[in-house]
Amino acid sequence: MARLLIVEDDDRIRLSLKMALEDEGYTVKDVPTAEEGLADHAANPADLVLVDLMLPGMDGFDCIRSLRKLGDVPIVVVSARDDTHDVVAALEAGADDYVVKPVAVKELSARLRALKRRARGSGGDAPKTLRFGEIELRPEAGEVQLGEDPVHLTRTEFRLLCELADQQGRVLSRQQLLDRVWGYEVFGDDRLVDVHVGRLRRKIERDPANPKHLLTVRGLGYKLQA
Amino acid sequence: MKRLGLRARVTAVFALGALALSTALSSVAYQITRQNLLTERERTLVRSAYFDAVIVREGLRAENPAISEVLRGLDTGETRRPVLRREGQWFSRSADTGITDSIPVALQRLVSEGTPGTQRVDLDGEPAFVVGVPLDEVDTGFYEVTTLAELERTFNVLATVLGVAALGTTLAGAALGVYASRRVLEPLTGVARAADEIATGDISARVARDTDPDLDRLAVAFNSMVDAVQAKADADRRFAGDVSHELRSPLQTLSAATSVLARRRDSLEPRTAAAVDLLTEEVTRFEQLVSDLLVLSRSDLPAERRPTDVVGLVRGIARQRGLTEEQIEVTGDGSRPEVDQRRFEQILVNLLDNADRHGGGAVRVGICTDPVLVRLEVDDEGPGVPPDERELVFDRFARGRAASARGGTDGTGLGLALVKQHALAHRGSVQIADRPGGGARFVVELPAREGS
Repeated sequence: MARLLIVEDDDRIRLSLKMALEDEGYTVKDVPTAEEGLADHAANPADLVLVDLMLPGMDGFDCIRSLRKLGDVPIVVVSARDDTHDVVAALEAGADDYVVKPVAVKELSARLRALKRRARGSGGDAPKTLRFGEIELRPEAGEVQLGEDPVHLTRTEFRLLCELADQQGRVLSRQQLLDRVWGYEVFGDDRLVDVHVGRLRRKIERDPANPKHLLTVRGLGYKLQA
Repeated sequence: MKRLGLRARVTAVFALGALALSTALSSVAYQITRQNLLTERERTLVRSAYFDAVIVREGLRAENPAISEVLRGLDTGETRRPVLRREGQWFSRSADTGITDSIPVALQRLVSEGTPGTQRVDLDGEPAFVVGVPLDEVDTGFYEVTTLAELERTFNVLATVLGVAALGTTLAGAALGVYASRRVLEPLTGVARAADEIATGDISARVARDTDPDLDRLAVAFNSMVDAVQAKADADRRFAGDVSHELRSPLQTLSAATSVLARRRDSLEPRTAAAVDLLTEEVTRFEQLVSDLLVLSRSDLPAERRPTDVVGLVRGIARQRGLTEEQIEVTGDGSRPEVDQRRFEQILVNLLDNADRHGGGAVRVGICTDPVLVRLEVDDEGPGVPPDERELVFDRFARGRAASARGGTDGTGLGLALVKQHALAHRGSVQIADRPGGGARFVVELPAREGS
């Protein structure tokens, strides 16, 4: 059973979400502060984390950054704030997805399922190595190298890279990427894609400001080329 | 009758003023000139007549004078025509017969009584001047009749010139009126332009300050009025936003707790289960309401335009909502307009929701793209929207009479208001038409680019 960590300072929201998500089949651990959440995750790593942004003490953004340092656990932000500034900052900090309160439990659990599915990896046929210039990608092994150096990607970044590599040289629209990586059939948030592409570029491009391989095709989407 | 515009009136006043002034000046000038010339001319004629009279008197002193010869001997120039009346008989040069009729009897009497006189007369339809000089010593009246036709022609020329001048002055006055009114109304054009821009959604439009202090006051007053209105609108919007925002956290609890209840619905006794159903339904609507209010509270921010595959978007959403391929009609050149994707999605989804609630479900979605315009149509087979409600349904919390009659109170009452706001944010429009074959057709048109 998947272990879920909820970091939320509002007791009522925390308790109701805990009950609702337990109904969905998760083992839920709930804590009111970022500090307790980090301690809990360090002691007993969760499979998925829900984080509120406005927390007493350490705020949600720092909490996400700290969790990222510990590993690549999928993180979903559940916040009442939905201005672009907060969304982008949370994603930049390392969150995998962002939902705005009030979110229906059905929707939330769909988002969590998509992340879990992804976290298990895409699976596939014979082990193979894909090359894009200096970038070396081994989808089955979950490994990426830039030249000689191994690159560490979060699972969402890795999944995004694999989807683009799968269609190499072809353009994938933001909507297609939202569908394939995040499981949004419609109404996904383009900012999810844009911020993750930015994060990915910083890891796999020598000059992220002038990308050679992971390219933006204006008005269409993104493509990965050798 | 349509009232004339301010500019037309100003122009007319200037023109009439110029006309009155120039007419008055011209007629005074004409009168004075005419008077002076006539007086001068008459004085000359009187002097000449006296001069001639002296010669005639000398000529008549001879025995049996040949009067015609005497008259012919006068140097009268071309215009003066001498005649003489002696013992009740007229004498004249042969060329001058027939002019004696024009000499008035009153003047003849005056002269015969020994008093010289002058008089203006009519000679064959032309103005003429008669000078009568009594020649007492020889018991004779001497007259000189001079036609003033030439002088009259001069007056006519003068009148024409003055008339033309008056007309020119009037035209100049009208031109001045046009210029002055345009100059004065120019700042108003700026204000009108700014007001138009504000009305079409660009609340940031302001009037440029003017260097003229009188006009600057107008610009400043207008701008501060818009500032005040905007501040008020911003405050209202912030309040709606703040309220909605504060509702989000409790709603999250409600939503999650309700889902816990709903999951156990089947094990509840029927009465409780019915209550849970009501709760679930209302919480869902409440969520939608808060989310719509939040969107609405920022909907007059400018649209974030980006090239968007609207056709793909429409296909995806329409399919998801259960429309068949035949019900999705794609026309146009398939170009990618620059629209705000979220807003566009919401326009379509809200129109589909509206069709579900009030029109028995959408039966056709049409999307047409070209480089200038995106046109989205959603058809339903419901009762349609009466013409007098076609504006009202886009008001916030407005629900059509027909809808209320059917008890259709689900929905937030904000869906169509949002559609309109999103269309306006693109400087586009939304309209309701009759669907051929019955039902309503909602038509949204958005310019494909900023400013196109």
